[in-house]
Amino acid sequence: MPVPWEALIPFGLLTAMFGTAGTLMNVSKRGQNLGKSPRYHVDPWDEMMMERDKRLTGHIRGQSTEPIAPEGFATSSVWYTQKTN
Amino acid sequence: MSTFHDGSTSTHPYKEPSPLPSSIPKVDELGTTSAPLKSAAFFIGAYCKDYNEDFMLCKAENRDPAHCLKEGRRVTRCAQDLITKMRENCLKQFDEHWSCLEANNQEYYRCRKPERTLNKCMFEKLGLTKTIPGSPPSQKPIHEVEKPVFTGVQK
Repeated sequence: MPVPWEALIPFGLLTAMFGTAGTLMNVSKRGQNLGKSPRYHVDPWDEMMMERDKRLTGHIRGQSTEPIAPEGFATSSVWYTQKTN
Repeated sequence: MSTFHDGSTSTHPYKEPSPLPSSIPKVDELGTTSAPLKSAAFFIGAYCKDYNEDFMLCKAENRDPAHCLKEGRRVTRCAQDLITKMRENCLKQFDEHWSCLEANNQEYYRCRKPERTLNKCMFEKLGLTKTIPGSPPSQKPIHEVEKPVFTGVQK
């Protein structure tokens, strides 16, 4: 009896579609995060630190161990204000 | 035709135009980003304990930024000093630990192995130990437990 290979086509399709979608998601996320997996459970402290990292290195996931900050870091912090009256 | 652009839409980084008064001594800011800082956090706590406590007590008196500038400069200088010493003595272990933290959502419990090597190196070269303030004296501190319940997923 010949093997009904046509019945396995849907399984192959599902595997290919899920695999492609998952791989593209992973690549897209890593591309946005400089090759690392994205941060999760980000609280306001982490947001503040990532914004500081952006001022220091240019990207929210950029890291450096320099003890002295680059030129312009001391004057680049922004506080958003609002009208109170 | 010219359109009005609000200041918050600028693509250039912000630069504060008014200069610091000349009476205030200039101290460069700390250039370490979040992951290396988190890795070095407990050692900064051990090394700079006096200056940090001075600063926190000063802030407790008065939250005005101008009140605690002197203590703040001391804290910055101490942290810069420690980061320089860490890079001179334990650069490899330091780099390994903070790279591990960056790859794991900056959670300590998932990077115990590199942390142990870093703690060992820091103790040998600089005499600093990591202590978690407020940990109950009857239990072992979580970073010294050999077989913790919560570890990261096996990758």
